[in-house]
Amino acid sequence: MALLDKPIVVEKFRAFHSYIRKNNGQIGTKQRGIDLNLNNACNLRCEHCFTNSPKGDHVKEVLDADVIRRVANEAHELGIFEWDLQGGELLLRPDILFETLEAMDTSRFYVYLTTNGFFMDADMAKRLAEAGVNRVSVSIDSMEEEVHDEFRGKKGSWKKAIEALKHVQEAGMSPYLNITVGHYNAFSEDIKNLVEYSKDNDYTTLLNVATPAGMWQKASEIMVDEADKAHLIEMRKKYKNILRNLWNPFDRKYEDILGCNTVNRMYITPVGDVLVCPYVHIKIGNVYEQSLREIAENGFRFKPFREHSKLCLAGEDKDFVKNYMEFEGTTIFKPALAEDIFPEDQVDNTPVQLPATA
Amino acid sequence: MSNLEKYSQAFVDAFEIEQGALASNLEYNSIPEWDSIGHMGLIAELEDAFDIAMETDDIIEFSSFEKGKELMAKYGVSIN
Repeated sequence: MALLDKPIVVEKFRAFHSYIRKNNGQIGTKQRGIDLNLNNACNLRCEHCFTNSPKGDHVKEVLDADVIRRVANEAHELGIFEWDLQGGELLLRPDILFETLEAMDTSRFYVYLTTNGFFMDADMAKRLAEAGVNRVSVSIDSMEEEVHDEFRGKKGSWKKAIEALKHVQEAGMSPYLNITVGHYNAFSEDIKNLVEYSKDNDYTTLLNVATPAGMWQKASEIMVDEADKAHLIEMRKKYKNILRNLWNPFDRKYEDILGCNTVNRMYITPVGDVLVCPYVHIKIGNVYEQSLREIAENGFRFKPFREHSKLCLAGEDKDFVKNYMEFEGTTIFKPALAEDIFPEDQVDNTPVQLPATA
Repeated sequence: MSNLEKYSQAFVDAFEIEQGALASNLEYNSIPEWDSIGHMGLIAELEDAFDIAMETDDIIEFSSFEKGKELMAKYGVSIN
């Protein structure tokens, strides 16, 4: 199902586009999406997991369906048009996934899943398409089977991931090939082969930069440097099918930066904590206690999230990482509290006018 | 500039393609540039060029270069 098949989503997406145009191509304080961790259990043991799933962290918790329903209503009122459902591995518990899809009313959102693809067969792809899922992002690390399998900690995971993308495409959803790029692989044959494969098969490549969070906390050497970033832009221009949340997707010169999406895309954990993004484990509220609007307004009080940043805070801003992401023991389930870590000069209590839906 | 030239230019500007790439069979998803993201850009270019505000239903129905001409007529814009 395409975005254009959902009139409500078209309206909100159009409002987003209009806002970005009027705001010099910057995301500002426009709410765009929700990343929801349905459940943190996973069948793989990825080296770079940012949720600490390989350590079995909080693998039983699930958000109440009633809370999801309420949060979805609040998200819709805020003009949020996209939802990324993720885990852990969310296809491990399809019952939770389909209950969530029903609770959120998929006609109101551009819905996508992030998955390792292991459980994505033709039948599952068909069911997801029928339930209103628009897109599926499948994470792949290399076109060499052994390399991917070793990184993911399970033999056979590469084959499943490659097949998953085909099933997604055949079911009429948009297949996105998810790659993680860091200093260790930006210029590698792995990345080159992956983007070529994606282009050749009419997929979209979703690029995430490696972040020193979760299993990789304090591993700042994995962060992309200036040469790596320049190379990513070259690839963006060359292939034209590479998206990144930091980049302005509407720019057909393939150069503009939307800005870091912290708080514009909030990350909700299975215990209801709301973090500013999946990779920046700083908490700004909890959906059991506050509305999404209250949480977003609170998040934008903090200057690093309110002010435009051309850098991805978690993946490119070494000062931010050093100052705010290296507290011992921080995880998505033990996040730092924004109120506690930002000094007064980093707080701006001027009320933020969250843009209304156009 | 005639309306047809303005209309064509909107496609060129939205998709960053050459004039030569415009053809009567150009339609949504027929080129990589015309995906849902590109579609929003195209609508914005047309609205700016002709000072109109399109309704959601028409945005959704705008599926091809030719179909678009029909839809523009609803807004008092004759493309020929």
